[in-house]
Amino acid sequence: MLPSPAVFHFLWEINTHLVEDGASVRTFAHLHHLGLFGRLRLTSYLPEESKAILTSHHASMQHQVSVQTTFVEPFDPIVGAQYVTLGEIDKAEGCSEAILRARVLNCVDGVDVALLQKAINEQRNFFKERDNEAGAQ
Amino acid sequence: MASEQSGAEDEPPSLLWGLDPVFSAYARLYIKDILQIRESRQVPGIYFYKNHPLFQVDVLGTVVYKREREDFYCYGVDDSTGVINCLCWKDEKWRDQGDSVKGKGHGGVFNVEEQLRKLCEAQRSRCMLEIGDLLQVRGSLKTSREQREIMASSFYKVSDPVMDVQIARMLDMPQLYRDCYNKPFQVPCAELEAGTTDAGGASNIQSMLGQSVRILKEFLKVKEVPKFRPYDEATSVGPSFPTQVKNLLKETLKLLQREGEIFRKVLSPDELYHVTEQDKDLLAAIRDVIQEDSKREKYAEKGCHILHVLSSVRQRYSRNLSREALEVALKFLECNSDIISTTDSHYTVL
Repeated sequence: MLPSPAVFHFLWEINTHLVEDGASVRTFAHLHHLGLFGRLRLTSYLPEESKAILTSHHASMQHQVSVQTTFVEPFDPIVGAQYVTLGEIDKAEGCSEAILRARVLNCVDGVDVALLQKAINEQRNFFKERDNEAGAQ
Repeated sequence: MASEQSGAEDEPPSLLWGLDPVFSAYARLYIKDILQIRESRQVPGIYFYKNHPLFQVDVLGTVVYKREREDFYCYGVDDSTGVINCLCWKDEKWRDQGDSVKGKGHGGVFNVEEQLRKLCEAQRSRCMLEIGDLLQVRGSLKTSREQREIMASSFYKVSDPVMDVQIARMLDMPQLYRDCYNKPFQVPCAELEAGTTDAGGASNIQSMLGQSVRILKEFLKVKEVPKFRPYDEATSVGPSFPTQVKNLLKETLKLLQREGEIFRKVLSPDELYHVTEQDKDLLAAIRDVIQEDSKREKYAEKGCHILHVLSSVRQRYSRNLSREALEVALKFLECNSDIISTTDSHYTVL
């Protein structure tokens, strides 16, 4: 069974209504902090949760999303580097922050963020135009 | 969506598909579109995006699913608009390599075995992907058990450390759609119309006709069409295709008949054309006539004259066969070394 397509979203959109619970998304941000409690310490039998935090600046605010890295371990974390991740959003009731269960987590440090944003917007505009035309027919 | 209005849009007649450049290309469509486009009613295995016929696609996306079998990989590719399975055959060459070719490094000297092993390794690593890798696939579109899949003719892992490749593609695609895929497939009948009204009309029509003949010839050759009718489905030539196009088609077929490339075996109301070089029965009949008659004393030395072959084949196969069609068939047989020409108009077999 193939998973749903992971649509591009900006990090600041994830915690808004634009992204629903259960949606498949891909997004990109800086790796802010990594907590791999079970791996770095000699407590490998404890079922610790693997968690990474991705942050991004937008409109002079810092946004962040928690990423559950269970599916993509082991990987070499470079704190401060830019990553692109792909996975399902979990917006549990009562939690202010969404969690992204990552199926893919790739380091893309050095990516031209402005150009990537432009590309995503181009693609979105194209689909919007097309839907408008189809709707008008 | 347009894909649901399949009844409303007429498909262009299959004979003209070769005139659309998209038909011969690996179409770069969004996976979302590839999953939704409709299959042709005339020829299964051909699909239509708007009114462009296509059967080959080019996709670039992240591998989100992987299944390995002995002979092939099945990669699920996600380009952020859709996910599709790609069947990627394993190359026999690097399957059995393993440890069998391990050259001893002769420090400094070029070791062929070693280099060959490295080449095989490099090839293998480009084809073995993991979830999260970026995959480029070109192949034919198939529908199997109601699922769309791509049968890859070429595929490889793309190294894209700073997302340059993906970004470039995302920027290119909308423009590609605007310039190409969203523009309707138009047979250049407008030019034909203009051509008849001005002084240069005659030469315009000639060049148009020449082009159309060339394209049709190639289409029949590449697709290995043995026989055809001009319009396989009366409904497919809808009101959207003006008389000019039908006339062009008629003239093209007339010319091809005169040249002997196609012929009608039986003259009946059913307009069925045989493609001379693809008609196995015709070729066999000609070969048999020449083979049998060359043994006779009368023809032993010089071979059979073309007119003799013509009348024999007409008796055996089709009373309608023209000399031109026979000449095309004889040339084809000679190129395949089935027969030999002893003079300009005599043929024999060894």
